[in-house]
Amino acid sequence: MFSAEPMQKRLQISGTLLIVGLVIEALCLLSKGPIAFVIFVSIGGLFIAVGVAVYLLSLVTHQG
Amino acid sequence: MPHATALIVALTVFSAALVALLVVRPSITATRSGKILAFAVLFLLPLLSAAMGVSDEMDHSKTTTFCLSCHTMESYGKSLYIDDPNHLPAAHFQNHRVPAEEACYTCHADYAMFGTMKVKLHGLRHVYVYYLGTLPKPEDIKLYEPFNNRECLHCHLGARSFEEGAVHNADPATMPAIKANTLSCVSSGCHDVVHDIAHLHDAKFWQGSN
Repeated sequence: MFSAEPMQKRLQISGTLLIVGLVIEALCLLSKGPIAFVIFVSIGGLFIAVGVAVYLLSLVTHQG
Repeated sequence: MPHATALIVALTVFSAALVALLVVRPSITATRSGKILAFAVLFLLPLLSAAMGVSDEMDHSKTTTFCLSCHTMESYGKSLYIDDPNHLPAAHFQNHRVPAEEACYTCHADYAMFGTMKVKLHGLRHVYVYYLGTLPKPEDIKLYEPFNNRECLHCHLGARSFEEGAVHNADPATMPAIKANTLSCVSSGCHDVVHDIAHLHDAKFWQGSN
């Protein structure tokens, strides 16, 4: 369950996105095929990019 | 699995485990050291894992087994074993004039600036066609552009067998034309037997060194 504190909640959302992205990337690295390459770059990369972006946004929008 | 890939997978799983720790216990980011940990775990480690993963995937996508993993390419892979020294790809593959494990990529790379990216974008299109489009017959597959001599000269330029080759120097205009890409290396009468998959059923095959 996500925290009630806004900053911690954003970190949890960022972390959840990153976990999904990292798990996808690990699975794609284990299965070597053209489709794994595409999923690695598109879906895994997207989750990691959004996860990192949410984390950075949470830093710059944090009050106090 | 290669050791490098195993290490990258281990790093990726380790990163995911640390991220999971932060998701379960976000309160640890309240302290100064927790904030530093969060920066490493939510920013540095995922980017490092992703970058190393992309590099590994890019390297793997250059391998012959990767290219031949689509069955449309099966005939082209088979043509590398044709037992005929005049068959250009087979002679290069069997005599290790190109690295056997990166045979397709070595000749079909674009040795120009951003060439690798261009080739990989073509590869993405191939994946799209393979899974979602209409597959052409292997013999109907054509290059996007006529084969550029630059790809041959990447290795052969300066090589004695090329520079002093009798046919290459029989006419003084030939060598400059080859180097300027106005006379193709694979033009008729030169090295023109390339992936002759239409005649695979008549071909004799080399069984390999194993």
